[in-house]
Amino acid sequence: MARIGRRFPQVFVAIYTGSLGEISNLRQFGFWLLNRSAFEDLPPDKPNEAGVLLSIDPDSKAAGMVFGYLLDPFLDESDTFDCLSRAHAYWLEGRYADGIVRALAHLEGVLARRSRHARRDPEHFQRKVLPPAMMGDLVRRIRDGHRAAEALPDGEEVTP
Amino acid sequence: MRRSARLPGMWLVAMTCAATAQGASWKEPELPAWGEGERQTFEESGWVAGALLLTDETIPDERGEEQAVASDAALDIAEPTADEIAETEDPNGEIPESFWPAYFEKRPDTFLVDPQDLLSPVDYRDRLAFLDYHASDSSIDLFVYLIKGGQEFPGEVREEELVERCFSSGRPAAVVFYFLGAPQRSTIALSPSLTDAVSSVEQRRALDSSVMQALEKTDPVDQFEAFLVQMSIRIYWMERMIGTERADSANELSPVVAKQASESEPSLAAKLEPYLHAVRPHLPMVFVMFSALITGCAANFVFRRKLRYRFPDFDVEPRLGGAHAAGIGAVISFASASLPPASQRDQVPDYLRRM
Repeated sequence: MARIGRRFPQVFVAIYTGSLGEISNLRQFGFWLLNRSAFEDLPPDKPNEAGVLLSIDPDSKAAGMVFGYLLDPFLDESDTFDCLSRAHAYWLEGRYADGIVRALAHLEGVLARRSRHARRDPEHFQRKVLPPAMMGDLVRRIRDGHRAAEALPDGEEVTP
Repeated sequence: MRRSARLPGMWLVAMTCAATAQGASWKEPELPAWGEGERQTFEESGWVAGALLLTDETIPDERGEEQAVASDAALDIAEPTADEIAETEDPNGEIPESFWPAYFEKRPDTFLVDPQDLLSPVDYRDRLAFLDYHASDSSIDLFVYLIKGGQEFPGEVREEELVERCFSSGRPAAVVFYFLGAPQRSTIALSPSLTDAVSSVEQRRALDSSVMQALEKTDPVDQFEAFLVQMSIRIYWMERMIGTERADSANELSPVVAKQASESEPSLAAKLEPYLHAVRPHLPMVFVMFSALITGCAANFVFRRKLRYRFPDFDVEPRLGGAHAAGIGAVISFASASLPPASQRDQVPDYLRRM
């Protein structure tokens, strides 16, 4: 965890271990915890948006991983699933620490690759987080273009 | 009839009597003699035909016996020293002492020991090549000491002691003392590692067989060649016999056999020696390049450890009312080994996916 914080100065990793009790949905719990919690041992320049939260419930034998908006363009559900998969064999045997280390090592590699990719081609990731309004404008402009073509007087041909 | 048979006999008697009477009256013709002043005339002309033979005087060589003795006395030749006399080769004596070190000092470096140069260089090379080939093809080396046919071993040297001293270590060996021109005098001895495995009867049989092959030839060199060929064959049979005994007595003979097997194959160092010899001149360059490579890898490792990764900060539209995160992420269950991660991959409800 400290190494990830050192190599990725914007990012931090938090881990929650414990029984969730009546909360049956681990994904919802992670979503709630990352949005509502205050991490005391973090510097103030690291908001929760930059966090990666790993939640492990030893009773229900389930684990989840959520991340904040900072990493939203760079990670997706399959990346976190791959991280958890690396730890699956260890957690089956109850070796939670080893599984966590293995999952975070994989996460470190994924983040490094995405960071390099983002430095080369930031637009690739920016397109993934375009606001819906901008996407709507784009669709509207395309449709407007088609309507303009339909409004042309009869006899005129539109060259393809 | 009877009268006619007597007639040739009478004629024969009559002729014999006539011949005897004539022989008694025959006189040897006199030798020609010089006329008065005739010889002097020839001598003045410079040459007298038959003067050397046709004379009553003695032949100069016969006559000059005393002169020859006088001329011999005039030659000043040093008499041989005591050492030279001692070292004078006696074809039927012991091996000269000057050859003892080459013969008996240590285990020979080559399979053919011929310090007396009894073989011509060509023959020596051919026989040595054969013995080298034998050594490469057999686990038992064949060492041959070549000795003159009439020579004897020095009294100070015993063959058994020589073999035991020189052939106790190293590859198993059969040692043959071959007398050139007298193959029947040859003897054989096996190194100590083989004496238990090969009986003396079998050794004698191999030697006799080789001698028989040699005696079919007349030339000493051909004899030697035939001897070696047959001895090599017999050593092959010795190997086979040792192998059979080894198979019969599983573990008993294993030390000898293992030793032979390990020594028959060239060691790894010997195999790599040609390559090392070729590479050795380039070792400093290789060392420098290898050091540079190691340094580069270490620098790259340090650089990567100190490398900091940053992400561009994009504006992300908050979703699902989350101020900091939108709940995107995976969940995995590790309750059962029968539920692998691969079967849990597609599990995110649609309402949680990013719009």
